[in-house]
Parts: sequence; structure tokens; C-alpha cells
Amino acid sequence: MKDQFDAPPQMPLRPPEQVMRLSRMGSMFPTRLSFLRSLIRRLAAERAQVVRTRWQMCAEGFGHAVFSVDLGGHTYSLVAVSTDLPPEQRTDRVIATAWDSAYVLFDGIPDAADIARITANAPLQEAGRFGPRDLILSRANKSVRLFAHVVEALRAGRQPDRAMIRDVGYLMRTTAVYGNGKFGIADRAGYDQRPGLEGPFAAEMLTVWLIRHFTHALAEHVGRGTLDPQIKRHLGIGNSTGLGMAPFLVTHPVLLNNWMLARETALARVRAIQTLAPDQIARLSVLAARATAHLAQWQVPDPVHQTRIEGLRRDWGQACALLTPPQLAGTAPLDTVMQQLEGASADVQELMAALLLEPFGDLVDGLAECMADPFGAFAAPLADTQAVRAQIEATFDWALTADYADPAHCGQFWYVSEAKMEPRLGARFTEEGAALESPLDIARRVHALARDLPQQAEPLSAFLERHPDHALAVARVTLAARYPYAEIRDNLIAQTCLPIDMLRCKLSFFGASKFDPKSDRWTRITLCQGAPLADELGPDADDWWLPVFAA
Amino acid sequence: MLAGKAARGAGAPAAQAAEFGIAAGIHLANGQGTAALDAALDALPSGPIIALPLALARIAEGAQQGRAEGRLDAGHHGPLAAAYIAALPFRATLSEAGRVEMDLNTPAPRRPVARIDLAADVYARWSMLAARMLVPESDASRLSGAGAGLTDND
Repeated sequence: MKDQFDAPPQMPLRPPEQVMRLSRMGSMFPTRLSFLRSLIRRLAAERAQVVRTRWQMCAEGFGHAVFSVDLGGHTYSLVAVSTDLPPEQRTDRVIATAWDSAYVLFDGIPDAADIARITANAPLQEAGRFGPRDLILSRANKSVRLFAHVVEALRAGRQPDRAMIRDVGYLMRTTAVYGNGKFGIADRAGYDQRPGLEGPFAAEMLTVWLIRHFTHALAEHVGRGTLDPQIKRHLGIGNSTGLGMAPFLVTHPVLLNNWMLARETALARVRAIQTLAPDQIARLSVLAARATAHLAQWQVPDPVHQTRIEGLRRDWGQACALLTPPQLAGTAPLDTVMQQLEGASADVQELMAALLLEPFGDLVDGLAECMADPFGAFAAPLADTQAVRAQIEATFDWALTADYADPAHCGQFWYVSEAKMEPRLGARFTEEGAALESPLDIARRVHALARDLPQQAEPLSAFLERHPDHALAVARVTLAARYPYAEIRDNLIAQTCLPIDMLRCKLSFFGASKFDPKSDRWTRITLCQGAPLADELGPDADDWWLPVFAA
Repeated sequence: MLAGKAARGAGAPAAQAAEFGIAAGIHLANGQGTAALDAALDALPSGPIIALPLALARIAEGAQQGRAEGRLDAGHHGPLAAAYIAALPFRATLSEAGRVEMDLNTPAPRRPVARIDLAADVYARWSMLAARMLVPESDASRLSGAGAGLTDND
């Protein structure tokens, strides 16, 4: 990693066989390494100013606006288009064709022609025409009941109901945030070395933060009033995320490794702290209480997930007893905390891991610079088939035991839908299409590779000449030697595979909270809730982990 | 990259299709036309999409202390081979005579960035190949394939 030559002391990393299980990935919480947190720290360090350079909006809030911000020596502008959407067209599926609002993050300050082009094309989304200065494309729908309530309250000269603000938490939710060349927008490689945009999904996170700013401005415009800053701060941006996001973690193994390795290294560093100062102990107590309050405000309609949250609340109450001053007075106290939670649920362990990173930005924040993947995979080729076998035995033993002919272990298949060009998950034995399966079945592929490896060593090229279909498995095994956290260590076609776990892992790295699963394959979340407003980017801007709203 | 999806649709195994997609991007960014790419797609299930990765692997297998050198067969050392070599994760070069030198211990430099606008007919042809891997909707997939709800009016 980048800071390997002067790295602080650290405990051993939690091993991949513990960390890279789906069930644990599905228990992750945002941390100070999450991409939104890194972005806000950068914006705050630069004292960034958001400037409204255009506002052409009718009294009912339909029209367009432009907000510009300087970051790392470049100016970026959010072009926002608000349209009048009939209720029957309002769907949060990625396959919708019309939205309440559409957005482009533009490279620079758009002139009149740029604005005309974007306002004509952004509402078309996938069907629109975009160019190399269009960095990100997005759209969002209103939370109809909260937006209407906020407008009504402001027009009546009062602030909106605080309980409703707390329970919904956003005025709009995005249904897609596209980057990296999709639909003709700029390739990420064209800007991923710019200061402030080097990190994973940094441009996407900047877009989301600016969209949130726009939603506040729009509600105040239509409501003809001003929202209380504390209310605005709790109004984040909702997001609906489905299966389309899940395969990313499989198709970008080096990125996944770098994200997880950074987080685990951060945890290993704080576990190595020998003694805590009184102010650090006090800070941990404050954060524990905040987490308790946050969990109390985390309510979801789904009964299964609500039961899980309630279990976490109970368990967390017990875990907090480990964070009292007497408990934290010993040697390596944070390592002791994690050790004492070893028998607890993954939910409690991951919440505690996220909390323990919070007070120690000096040990943790630099690791954010290691979470991108500017050069791609760099793993030396394995010498021969015996080297492949040895690497499989060392790192893929978890993939070798299942009977992949058993419907329990192969009952699902990933594919791309013809109608929507989006990833989907099908039932292998009741749906058509398994012959066109997407190659996310890494465990099964490595199992098949191991079965076909010759007893006597031979060059890999000779083996692959006979077995070209094993090339993907060989590539994954080769990567494993260098990138220990690159692989989800579960069978992704098993009947028991829950894509929601993959979604939660990825979304926690974005900085999402208030996970609100609607099934085992899509979820609503909240981004930027509690994040500083544009005029709050000061020295204390970074303190918004697991926000709590005083209703 | 569309070229990789086209290769998958034309019958290439997943890894070889992905490698072709990366190499095709470099090939086009280098100012080369699409003829060699179309020929490679037409040649599946054999041809350079299968043979070039194997040829490069054979050279790498001969490495001594991280350094390898070898020669590509005639017909394999054109611009497409140069793109495959530029796509390798480690530093490697190709001479006009087809001589390849590899340094397995040194990461490859960042690849060139270029915006690629495919001709309409090429885009249509590759899209048609890529579409062979798409699964038509069914009643079951409409109900559960994506998983998302149908309304956002709350």
C-alpha cells in the first residue's frame, strides 16, 4: 500500500475467510473511509463554495438550475432539470423512462449552448446524447409525501413536521447515478487523476451531494420559505438500488480488494493503539451513544429486517458496556473490545469496527488514497498447473467442497436482460436463459478448474489450449496470490445467495446508511444524511457518522 | 467495452472476451481501424482472440528472474498484437519483427485515454453480436428478476 514505508503499528488483519463472507459483507456500516466522507473532507479542506449560477424555475418548481463548485483546481457544475411527472410514470426501477428530475455533472461551467443541450438530453437519460464534458448522469424522483408536506409547511409559514423529516430523511431519491463512459459520458480514466476525483466513485458522490443541495433549494423555492438548517442537514438523498450494482464487486476484484484491505488495515491500526487518552475515551462514549440513538431511529417496513435491527439494538446495548472508561483503561483496549465481541453477531462486530475507526482520522484517513485502482491488476503469471493447484488449495478451499450439480448449490444464475440490458438473477430450473449465464459463478469455475488440472505439472498455456474455458478461473486464482480480499468467498449461484448482502457492502463504502431492504435483491438507502450543507464546510465538517435527528 | 461483449456473443470464453475488449480499446485508441477487430471476431472460435493470449503466455512462461523474451508467429505480430501487449499488467514491448520482451516485475504504464466513436455500422454489428448473450424477458423475470418495486409514489 502507498504508505507501507512509514505505516503505523498494526495488529494482524482479520483474515479474508472471515471478512469476505457474504453474510458479513451484508452487515457492513459506513466508516470514515467511505467515499462520501473522503469527499466531504476534501471539500472542507478546500473550503469549497457552491455557487448557483443559473435558476430558471417556475413557481411550481419546473425548469432548470446550475450549481458550480471548485474542487482540486477544476470547476464542476451540476445541471439540474426538474419536470412535471404524472404519478403513474413515477417508478424507482432503473427501467423507468421518466423522472421528476434529471442531472448531469458537467466538467467546467456550461455556457448557454451546453445548458440547452443538457436540458434537452438529461431527461431522456439512457436515450439521450452526451459528450466528453458530461461526467456523470443521474435522475431522481421526489419522495412525494415529504416533498409535498415540506412545501405545504413552508407556504404556511412554518417548518415541516420533524418526526416526518426524521422518518423519511430525504426529499428525493436517485434511481441511477451513471459514470465511466455510460451512454456517451466521459470515461473515468479522463479525470481520475484530478485532485479530489482520484478516489472510487468520487465524481458520483460529488454529484449526489450537489443533488441534495438542489433538492433543498427546490423545496424552498416552491414553498416560498427557508428551511431550518438542522432540518436541511438531516435531509439527505434517497437511493433505490437493485441487482445492477451487485456484479460490480465480482467484475472488479482489485477494487474490492483495495476497499476491504484499506478498511481492515484501518481496523488493525486502531486495534494496535496501546493506551487511550481521556478525550479519546470520552469520544468513543459519545459515538456509542450516537450509534444507539441512530439504531433507535432506523425503522424499516420489512418485518424480517426490522426484527434484525431490533436484535442489533439489544446486542449493541451490551456491546456498549465495553466502551466505558474502566473497560478502556487497559493496554490495547480496542483490540480487547473486538476480541470480546468475537462471539457476537456480525452486525454488532461490524458496527463496532466502524465506530472504532471514527476518532482516529490521523491513523485512518490516509488509507483512503489506497482505495482506487489506477493501474489495474498486477499479478505475476503462475508458473504452471502445479502452481495453480497450490494457489487454489491455499485460497479457494472454500470453493471446493460444494456439489455444483446439486440444485441447492446452483439454483440461481446471473444474466443480462435483453429488454433492459441490466443484470438479473434467475432460477436455473424454472426459468429460461441459463445457457447465456454471466460468469459470476467463480466458485463453480474454480472447482471445475481444480478437477481438470493434470496430475503432472505442465505449462499453463498448454493446459489452457486444451481448456480455454478455464482461463477465467485461472485469472482469478492468479489474482488471489496478490489480492487476498479480491474474492467474495461464497457461492454466488447457490440457492442461499442473497444479493442484498453484496449491495450493502458496496453501498456502505459509498457512505450509505438507513438500509431499507425491499426484498433480497433491492434496497432503499439514504446518502448524505447529516452531511454538511454547502455553507457548513468548516473544520468540524467530517463529524456525521451515523447521524441522529432530534425530532 | 462493446468489443468484449461482441466477442462473448461470438463465442469467446469469458476471460478471452474480456481481454479482447481491453485490447480493442487500446487498438482503437492507437488510431487503428476496426478491420483487424472484425476479422478476429469472425475467426471465433479460433483466431487471435484465442491464440494471442496463449502465445503471450508461452513467452511469459519462459521468464528467468522476471524477464522473458520470445517471438510471435508471423501473422500474430500486427497492431492487434501490440494492443494485447499494451494490455498486459506488466511492462512489455513488441518490435516490428515480432520480438516480444517482458518485464514481469514492473507494472505496465497507464494506458492511453481516448474517446472512441465507432462508425454506425460497426456499432450495429458488434451490438448484434453482444445481444446474443442477452436473455429475453419472461413472466418470471418480470416478477422477480430485478427485484425492484413498481411504484415510487411514496
